[in-house]
Amino acid sequence: MRVLDKPLVVSGELGWLGGDKLERRVEKPAKEVSTIADGEVTQEREGKKPRSFSLNRAPQLKVLLDSFVALLAGDPSRLSQSFDVTLGRDADRWALTLTPRDARVAKQIARIQVYGSGTVARCMRMDEADGDMSIDLLGELAGSMPAAPTREGLIAQCGGAM
Amino acid sequence: MRGRRLGILIGWLVALALLGAVVATHLKVGTDLRSFMPAPTTPDQKLLMDQVGEGPGSRLLLVAIDGGDDATKAALSRGLASALRKDDGFTQVVNGDFDLGMLDSSLLPYRFLLSPTLDHGALDETYLADELQQRLDDLGSPAATLLKGLLPRDPTLETLKLAERWTPARSPEVREGVWFSSKGEALLLAQTRGAGFDPGAQEAAIGRLRAAFAALPGSGGSHLTISGPGYFTVLVNAQTRDQADWIGRISTIGFIVLMLVAYRSIGALLLGALPVATGALVGIVALTLSFPEVHGITLAFGFTLLGVAQEYPIRLLSHRRAGESAVAAVRGLWPLLLTAIASACIAYLAFYASGVGGLKQLAVFTIAGLLAAGFSTRYMLPYVLPEHARDVSGMPWLASFRDWLDALPRPRWLPLPIVAAVLAMLFFAPGPFWQNDLSALTPLPRDLLMRDAQLRGELGAPDVRYLLVVQAPDADGVLRASAALEPRLREQVAAKHLDGFELASIYLPDLATQRARQAKLPDRATLDASLGAALDGMPFRKDLFAPFEDDVETARHAALLTPAMFARSPLGQRIASMLAHRDGHWVGLSTLSGVHDASAVAAAVASAGVDARLLDLKDASESLVAAYRTRILHAVLAATALLFLTITLALRSVRRAWHVLAPMTLATFLVLAVERMLGIPISLFHLVALILAAGLGLHYALFFERDTGDPAEQRRTLHATVVCVIAALLVFGMLAWSSIPVLRAIGLTVALGVGFHFCLSILMAPHARKD
Repeated sequence: MRVLDKPLVVSGELGWLGGDKLERRVEKPAKEVSTIADGEVTQEREGKKPRSFSLNRAPQLKVLLDSFVALLAGDPSRLSQSFDVTLGRDADRWALTLTPRDARVAKQIARIQVYGSGTVARCMRMDEADGDMSIDLLGELAGSMPAAPTREGLIAQCGGAM
Repeated sequence: MRGRRLGILIGWLVALALLGAVVATHLKVGTDLRSFMPAPTTPDQKLLMDQVGEGPGSRLLLVAIDGGDDATKAALSRGLASALRKDDGFTQVVNGDFDLGMLDSSLLPYRFLLSPTLDHGALDETYLADELQQRLDDLGSPAATLLKGLLPRDPTLETLKLAERWTPARSPEVREGVWFSSKGEALLLAQTRGAGFDPGAQEAAIGRLRAAFAALPGSGGSHLTISGPGYFTVLVNAQTRDQADWIGRISTIGFIVLMLVAYRSIGALLLGALPVATGALVGIVALTLSFPEVHGITLAFGFTLLGVAQEYPIRLLSHRRAGESAVAAVRGLWPLLLTAIASACIAYLAFYASGVGGLKQLAVFTIAGLLAAGFSTRYMLPYVLPEHARDVSGMPWLASFRDWLDALPRPRWLPLPIVAAVLAMLFFAPGPFWQNDLSALTPLPRDLLMRDAQLRGELGAPDVRYLLVVQAPDADGVLRASAALEPRLREQVAAKHLDGFELASIYLPDLATQRARQAKLPDRATLDASLGAALDGMPFRKDLFAPFEDDVETARHAALLTPAMFARSPLGQRIASMLAHRDGHWVGLSTLSGVHDASAVAAAVASAGVDARLLDLKDASESLVAAYRTRILHAVLAATALLFLTITLALRSVRRAWHVLAPMTLATFLVLAVERMLGIPISLFHLVALILAAGLGLHYALFFERDTGDPAEQRRTLHATVVCVIAALLVFGMLAWSSIPVLRAIGLTVALGVGFHFCLSILMAPHARKD
């Protein structure tokens, strides 16, 4: 991120609770549980009272939710409602590129790329329009997160799966 | 002779044209309905009168945009809001589109003085470290994209804290960045600059709003719904004018037919209209000379009241004998006609004594008009009428009608059962006697009111009934008192006695509070050191927070914010509507929404130990109406006494005066009793109409009482009276069918009155018994 000197590493679990509910449990650096359910985003941190805001205030989050839920549910029609979808293949490995259709969302999120092999998604990379980037190493890749990651290293690790 | 008549006629018409020219160049018509409301006396009533037109609540237009998908409606809402924000006719436009533009960039450093954060802590290392750690967590959370842009200038998120503080407790759902109703319409609130009860100003504002909407690209497929007091004012005004227009057209046609049937002469019809035209023009000229602005309603009501004057030419036309000149006829009639004119003027004098601006104008107009119409009937009309006219006493139907009337029994005890019936009806009548609710006079369709309530609820728009009033010698005192009230009101919200409230101090803290917060801001070196220490071990770029440090430094030296300095920003206008300078002191007006337990809220406000109270506008308006009515009743009583005196002097006999005044008084009370029996509560307009009907009835009684001993003359009297009665029934009977309460009140009262006055003055006329 531009505002930071080095990548911010967060690790934990992302769970789909069915329907439009997502739960994100963060273990490191601080315990935090975020849930997106019924159009509300709730963040709970240890020792703080929970904060919540309406999903409508954050259209970009709504898009993320859409993409996660559609991916996890294997619902291509829902995916293509919100995104232009292109799929690249190389033998067993694949890369899914999602470009937001809504112009307002596109102002903030340039694209989302999901890399995987076989039936397993291995990495998810989100490019924000301002050049910031977030990378989710999923499944076994998460275990290979270096102690002091660099932006370039992470990109290689994520895209390198392709 | 013929040439002389033509000369006089042309002279008269030229004079009328000159009067018309004066009117056309000098008449200024005002539309503010408040000039028809009583002068307020208590402070609450004064506030009410200001609120009625100028209060923030009454200047609010509620707008809903429907049709098309959410994105289209949201784009239209944003487009309309930005167009209206540039429009000088609107002081505030909100649609949920929160942007930091509410605090413009130059005011951003003031966030430290506006937000309560510094009341409990300081910008030291501990606080900064904690905040920065939270920001770091935020960056790794779903909210990252929301906050990233704010970070360098505002790492403690003071602007978001302010935004939260300034967001109404209950605001509508936000979709696509703007407010939406539960029915899926985009919602918008626009506050007009013009007063809420000024139909002229409101119509212009609404017109510009609609034009701005129509000019937006893609607005064709969408629909705009407007509600709110200002919109209703425009609607009622247009509806009243519309109905008055078509009723006026129909009655004019009926009147022309009546005159042609009664006198079978087009000349009589046209010439007979001249005195009333003269009266109307003279009345307007008198108004323009004595008042800077003439109210639209004065003119509308005035023409109705002046309809009485049509009786003068009718009397002259009906009382002409075969072979007798019009001049001779008018000489015979004049003493009685003069009594009639004088008594009508006295009745209208009651309006002048009421002390209400609009009614005073009405009195000036009708009195000047009646005198002009009367004197032109005496000194001009006879000289232009044709030499020979048909004697109406020869009409066969008239003779048989007179015979039938004469054959009716006329028991002397007639007044007794009528008095008994009146008393019984007044006693057993259902419902309240007086109509105290001003709003009952607004003819708004029920579905519009329901729609207004629904929109108001969704928008969390303020309750129009309750208002929190804070008083202090200066603006800062009002802000201090408001700040003291804030915790009390929060308790009330928590206790569910109240849904939400607005206080000026929420937007702008008083100077002492600002000064205290300013004193807590660290200087640049201290801030730099604590920020450096707090940043230790954090991945933030070192130079990232320079804009934040600049803002703190600016805030340390900034002049404290006053309402005047705040004025240019969008929030400043919101404050301006809550702070008013009046009679040497300052008044803070805060709106409340969803008042569930008014007495609990009032008690909480009273216990705060500041000069503040909860004002119930409904109570204030009812007390105002009651006071108004008392004044009018006193004026009417005084006018009645004067009237009795005038009639007695004119007729030089108490007994004859009794024969004139008794039927008039009885009929007036009979109308009152019948309306009460129908369950109609009596409003001010009923009182005005009763006076008008009494004036007409007095004329009937005066002429019927006249003892000429000549059956032909009595037939002529009957002819004139029947023409007058039919004319009045035609005009006022039509009004009684109107859907507008004010017009209906006047129409029904006068139509009933004319009927009763006619019957009673015939049945109680003295000489008929002698026939």
